[in-house]
Amino acid sequence: MTVSARSWLERIRALNLPERIRILNVCGGHERAITQAGLRTALPNQVELIPGPGCPVCVCPEEDVYEAMRLALDEDVLLVAFGDMLRVPVNVAKGEPRCLEQARAAGGDIRPIASPLEAVAIAQRHPRRQVVFFAAGFETTSAPVAAMMAAGVPGNLSILLSGRRTWPAVAMLLDSGEARFDALIAPGHVATVMGPEEWSFVVDRHAMPAAIAGFNPESLLAATYSVLRQSMEGRPFLDNCYPELVRPGGNPTARRQLDRVFRVIDANWRGIGEITASGYGLSPDRAASDARLRFPAPPVSRRRAGEMPPGCDCAGVVLGRIYPNECALYGRACTPRKPIGPCMVSDEGACRIWWAAGLREPHEHCARKQA
Amino acid sequence: MCLGIPMQVREVDGFMARCEAKGVERQVSLFLLQEETVLPDDYVMVHVGYAIQKMTETDARSAWELYDQMLAASPPEPEGA
Repeated sequence: MTVSARSWLERIRALNLPERIRILNVCGGHERAITQAGLRTALPNQVELIPGPGCPVCVCPEEDVYEAMRLALDEDVLLVAFGDMLRVPVNVAKGEPRCLEQARAAGGDIRPIASPLEAVAIAQRHPRRQVVFFAAGFETTSAPVAAMMAAGVPGNLSILLSGRRTWPAVAMLLDSGEARFDALIAPGHVATVMGPEEWSFVVDRHAMPAAIAGFNPESLLAATYSVLRQSMEGRPFLDNCYPELVRPGGNPTARRQLDRVFRVIDANWRGIGEITASGYGLSPDRAASDARLRFPAPPVSRRRAGEMPPGCDCAGVVLGRIYPNECALYGRACTPRKPIGPCMVSDEGACRIWWAAGLREPHEHCARKQA
Repeated sequence: MCLGIPMQVREVDGFMARCEAKGVERQVSLFLLQEETVLPDDYVMVHVGYAIQKMTETDARSAWELYDQMLAASPPEPEGA
């Protein structure tokens, strides 16, 4: 830990803290940095750091993953998707492919990509094939996808869009009256793209302390110190602890492209349900590039469509209601090698992050000191 | 997919740039930085192949150090029970 990080820790330890304060983060990058740096162990007992809705792969609708598999297997399309999506399981009858990786083994032409630029390049290399880009992600990914479309895409490339907006999920939690946190650490790169102002509602509407953090221990501890001070003094405000990248108004080009290419829609989050204004759909003038319209899905009746797998409590993890190792499957039936829920699949998933950091014991009563 | 990687710009060609991080080179889109002037030797934060913001060399180096620690701490392939 650096001198600066130690200094923040000392300042936090010097505070006369309340009995318990729960701080939610909504970014897989934050959760990874917190867990790998061992910040939970280093912080005083009263401070709980809770991973929340920070994984776009985890909340991607089950129906969308199923549709991507259908396109690859039944429509003879070349399907490209971010690598994280390939092992996300869907609910199908025994013996059928249950993720994109298995659909590929069953003959589907499915290729992992790391950038929208690769989707365009693949479509250009295969002009006689229909190429579908299954694009799931939060604002940091949706803005590049919008840029890809604004720059122009080949006619044989269409998009299966599962873009999600981060703040409406936090707004839903706070509006529900069942939020199990007292302060928020807001995501640094989402705020880099969208501007810090999006998070003002946490303070303005809910009088809750909030701070935007970057991805090193210093920035995360500075944000932790900020929300603790705000809470103790009863003066919440939105602090920016990542000024290196987060500027007022965010990235204006990115926001303009998102506005032009997409429209904001009510959207489904896996295991959670529909959240108002929480998703991106293609704008009407982009309908020609919409894979959902180009390849209309036949009506299908499936058991547990849209749900998390049986026994999986990824929804509780995503909503910050339980810690990963409080799920009955964690470390028993569900591990990165044989994941059952999406939170164990994605690099952004809290279960995967905790497992990778060496936390192997399932269902510990006091989880917070172990990660 | 959400991990941002700081990269140094080596060469700019319209909206595309050849960028480098720790010896690895990639083609990066500057489409989202149209309102900024991006020149060789500048540092940018890159998400899924697109630069989303300019940054300082100090901040880029500090992030690289952190990623080195993270990579050392976490194995690249899924590991089993």
